[in-house]
Amino acid sequence: MDTVTLTIDGREVTVEKGKTVLQAAIDNGVQIPYYCYHPGLGIDGSCRVCIVKIEKLPKLQTSCSTPVAEGMVVSTQTPEVVEARASVFEFLLINHPLDCPVCDKGGECPLQDFSYSFGPNESRMEFPRRVFDGEGVRADVDFGPTLMLNRNRCILCTRCVRFMREIDTDPQINIVDRGYGSEIATFQEEGVHSLLSGNLMDVCPVGAITTRDYRFKSRPWDNPDAVDTICTLCEKGCNTTAWLKAKPEWAKGARLIRITPRFNPDVNDYWMCDIGRFDYRWIEGDNRLQKPLLRSEAGVLEPTDWRNVVGKVADRVTAAGGPSALGFLVSGHASLEELALIGRLGGTLGLREEGVAVGWRRREKPQAPGAKFKIPPVDAPNLMGAADMGFPVRPTSSGDADLAAFRGDVEAGRITVLYVFDPGPEGTLGDVSWIVEARQSGRLQHLIVQGVLMTPLAAAADIVLPGAAWVEKDAAYVNEQGRLQGAARAIAPPGEAMEDWQILVNVGLALGAPLTYTSSQEVRAEIAAGLGDNPRYAGLAELAFARPTAAGNWLKTSNPSERWKWDFMFQDLPPVKFVGKPGATSWMNGIPLTEVE
Amino acid sequence: MSFHPLMLYDPERFQRSERRLLEEGEPFTFAPERRAALDELLTKYPPDRKRSAILAALYLVQEQQGYLTANAVRHVGGILEMTPAEVEDVATYYVMFFKEKVGKHVVQVCRTLSCALAGAERVTEALSHTLGIAPGETDPSGMFTLLEFECLGACDRAPVVMVNNEDWHERVRPEDCGRLVEDIRARGPAASSGCHLRIERP
Amino acid sequence: MEPVLTRYIREPNSYTLDFFLKHDGYNGLKAALGMEPNAVIDLVKASGLRGRGGAGFPTGLKWQFVLKDTPLPKYICCNADESEPGTFKDHVLMERNPHLLFEGCLIGCRAIGAKVAYIYIRGEFFHVQKVLEAELAKAYAQGYVGKNIMGTGFDCDIVIHRGAGAYEAGEETALIESLEGKRAQPRIKPPFPAVSGLYNCPTAVNNVETLCNLPSILLNGAEWFTSLGPEKNGGPKLFCVSGHVKKPGTYEASMSTTLHELIYGHAGGIRDGHQLKAIIPGGSSVPILLPHELEIPASFDAVAQVGSMLGSAGIIVMDETTCMVWAARNLLYFYKHESCGKCTPCREGGDWLHRILTKIENGEGEMRDIDLLTSIGSNIAGKTLCAFGDAAATPALTTVKHFRPEFEAHVREGRCTVPADWRAARTPVAH
Repeated sequence: MDTVTLTIDGREVTVEKGKTVLQAAIDNGVQIPYYCYHPGLGIDGSCRVCIVKIEKLPKLQTSCSTPVAEGMVVSTQTPEVVEARASVFEFLLINHPLDCPVCDKGGECPLQDFSYSFGPNESRMEFPRRVFDGEGVRADVDFGPTLMLNRNRCILCTRCVRFMREIDTDPQINIVDRGYGSEIATFQEEGVHSLLSGNLMDVCPVGAITTRDYRFKSRPWDNPDAVDTICTLCEKGCNTTAWLKAKPEWAKGARLIRITPRFNPDVNDYWMCDIGRFDYRWIEGDNRLQKPLLRSEAGVLEPTDWRNVVGKVADRVTAAGGPSALGFLVSGHASLEELALIGRLGGTLGLREEGVAVGWRRREKPQAPGAKFKIPPVDAPNLMGAADMGFPVRPTSSGDADLAAFRGDVEAGRITVLYVFDPGPEGTLGDVSWIVEARQSGRLQHLIVQGVLMTPLAAAADIVLPGAAWVEKDAAYVNEQGRLQGAARAIAPPGEAMEDWQILVNVGLALGAPLTYTSSQEVRAEIAAGLGDNPRYAGLAELAFARPTAAGNWLKTSNPSERWKWDFMFQDLPPVKFVGKPGATSWMNGIPLTEVE
Repeated sequence: MSFHPLMLYDPERFQRSERRLLEEGEPFTFAPERRAALDELLTKYPPDRKRSAILAALYLVQEQQGYLTANAVRHVGGILEMTPAEVEDVATYYVMFFKEKVGKHVVQVCRTLSCALAGAERVTEALSHTLGIAPGETDPSGMFTLLEFECLGACDRAPVVMVNNEDWHERVRPEDCGRLVEDIRARGPAASSGCHLRIERP
Repeated sequence: MEPVLTRYIREPNSYTLDFFLKHDGYNGLKAALGMEPNAVIDLVKASGLRGRGGAGFPTGLKWQFVLKDTPLPKYICCNADESEPGTFKDHVLMERNPHLLFEGCLIGCRAIGAKVAYIYIRGEFFHVQKVLEAELAKAYAQGYVGKNIMGTGFDCDIVIHRGAGAYEAGEETALIESLEGKRAQPRIKPPFPAVSGLYNCPTAVNNVETLCNLPSILLNGAEWFTSLGPEKNGGPKLFCVSGHVKKPGTYEASMSTTLHELIYGHAGGIRDGHQLKAIIPGGSSVPILLPHELEIPASFDAVAQVGSMLGSAGIIVMDETTCMVWAARNLLYFYKHESCGKCTPCREGGDWLHRILTKIENGEGEMRDIDLLTSIGSNIAGKTLCAFGDAAATPALTTVKHFRPEFEAHVREGRCTVPADWRAARTPVAH
């Protein structure tokens, strides 16, 4: 690697050749503010807040657009830079509304943070602020199915425009008019229609683009816990962070509050798709399986306890009359651990090879042909892993799961007891209506479903075992590139639901399998030992899983003067808003709060 | 409306900006001779750089129907392989494209310093008085639109008035405005004095 | 000095190809085609020709920077987006001498190895464009442009590209963006157009007057060219004089001519019964000069020495009836209106300046507003992506610097203290 050594604020730093001064500063912990720059997008050089002094150059330079050079001497702290930078903040803020208290971005807003660090103490602007929507000011407008746009907050960094142009490659966002009247828009206000739209919220450095999903739900100080994990909704395996809302005991509602992408240059870069981002509400939804269920004599699924239900599973399997009457349908959502245990189970029972099938769903995702971030069609995170573990991953010519033979065995009554393992969101196992039909018609005598949701399949089952969604268990998956990654347990499974490895161990023990695992880690260690010659699994035994970062109780430890935020966020008080006197030069002297009628 | 699997979208239900949008307008296709002119222009640029011809294409739209409509923008986008948003991005940047219906004669008065020193403000005032409209407005008959324009580059013949982006009238005096308006109403572009550099003009 | 560029413009039919061919037309190109491209560049370098668009950058040097060792095509972009307030010289050249421009374009293409020259003409010059197009068709028909030019085997096309109303398109990278069918917004430099310009290919962007100087340099040599003006400011120069003078117009003169001579000699002096108050010597973007500062040569270097710029040589003359607050406001409206909106200081600051100037002009200003103008102006100047920021801040900075008492009088008396009969009854409302 060619390197370049330069000096930033008196400190010598060595960075890769070709990087910019801003990247060098970020890499070395020197704080320079920036808005139009985004590491995943092209360089624009327009916001002007990253200006620095570079020796021998007459004018201040934008660090985002200046490549490093050997011996360059950069200064971010000279009075000239400090003053010029503050002036750009003054410009940025002359029209930016002071609605941080009601803005979704508040608390994690680069404009807020950098303004406190680098901006002027007060603004000299005394004219009315620019608003875009005329009488009545409808600043918050619809921006497509997933997003809202608040033009008043926009600082025209054009990251969103460039994201659509460069990454999505279907430029739907444009600027209308020019100069002072410029505004971000979509053609005829049609909004953004893209499966990558959520990324626009991430790239927006202010609260101009927010997601409808997260809007008014939570704020950073409400969700101090964040868990680094991966998405398992398709075979890409994007690296993500699951955000957990901290709540008083009595507060209802979900803990999992949003999912955001986490940079991984080899998998998803800075991005993720809307499916992974927004399809999580079912996890803490009402349709989750919370208790084991057993079909009664009267034919009704009734809750029971684990001891009973595991015994019943063993009874049914034993009564099937030999391994040839047993079938296992495993979802492509099964993790390596779960597959290994199903394998052990099959081995114990002497299951035929044709008695196991792997199912998944394949959907082409509508995207621009040139999209730089492609969402793969197969909605299963671990097909590669299943194949490596010896499971029959059989695609048809169209890429769907080829279950024809297996289905034939079920529909002909050759398989009398079917065990379906389906830990993914509804539908990801592909079409299973034929199973429901076979069970209802009686051709299939017993249906055991280990899953997470009360789907039509679970509703048709004789025994339902409530398992865990991917954010509720530590589990390993191998994505389409053959990359081994772990999804971490961010929240607990609901009610009496259990992590799936544990269920499978219990079922196995009931069937007499000699299983001694006391943690999923032990399962992984054993898989690693078995697949030791496959370099893909080299790190499996030591695979690390993130834990919620303990941020403590932010509200309790915060400054007493911030208590009003608590009131605002958690009590059903009337909304508060700023009432500023026009021409008041220093509103910071006191924040007048009044109630709105 | 939406292909989004998770977020079904009903545009009627959500808030919209009050931003003035382009009129949808009549269905738009270039008249054959204009389409041919555009195709001819496209040969002047590299084949993969069709959007270079966008300004020319938008002028052709205005030639055909006077101003830009959403349907025209879509049509242009289709030919130049741009999304409508990209076309709008460009079209709204340039002041010579009209984003709403304008009068038959768009009277554009230069207001920048040299013309202003020569009395352009009073010319605008006089035109405004004669037409009964403020700058930026179109008269009720749809005959005239009055606009203020930035430096037209003929400061030695100030104040300059341009009509419909093309025809010039130089050294306008406030007291002449009444007659000028009547003249334009009667004779159209022929009423303008033209550019005085054309000394060959009979 | 004998006019070179405008020698024949007042003669009937001077714009036609026939006329042009009778007066040395395309002979400069012939000379260039007989030389190695590098020799053409060296000749232009030796002539010291400086860009006539405003910055005064040496043309030969600009061409030398154009990347040679590349498989990519190269381009000449002629900047005919003459939009700087107070400037109307290219207008004259193109309308009265279009073939001179074509010849200049072709010589430029020969020098840098380009096969196409795009002439980006501002949309408002439609009548000029019609002349250019008609004459270009004739030049094509008679083999002066196109394939195998004058039988020398040299191929070169010229394309006329119409802009659509954007001052910013006169900035060279914004012009390139506009040619590519985008908003006319400047690009970050580096890379400079010479390395990555139009369609990301090496490109030279040259002003109309600059290119029009080339044929005579090729014909008469570098020495002749330098002899026409002071050191480093050689060649003929077009000056545009407008405002409160008796004979506003475009005048060709040597850059050793004084500003005083241009205003009082060529342009006939201040209109009767009035006195000179101030001039803007190089288009609206440059600092004001006062009456006592005019006895200097109107050259790039001499005007720079007194703290202003020759710029595009658009001299705007204002007499004592001109309110300087009004003048600054007039120009700030222009800059606010023409700001592309890409970078923060210019987009936000330009409007802010305009609002403060309007407030003062309307008699509602406070004393601190005057210092605020200076402060905001300094915060814009030099902090923007392109030179537009400097240009936008200048009218506010320079008027406050030279005419502060006038601003104070507006504040003190709560009205405009220099009303003029040529202005509207009340300051027009910005819209």
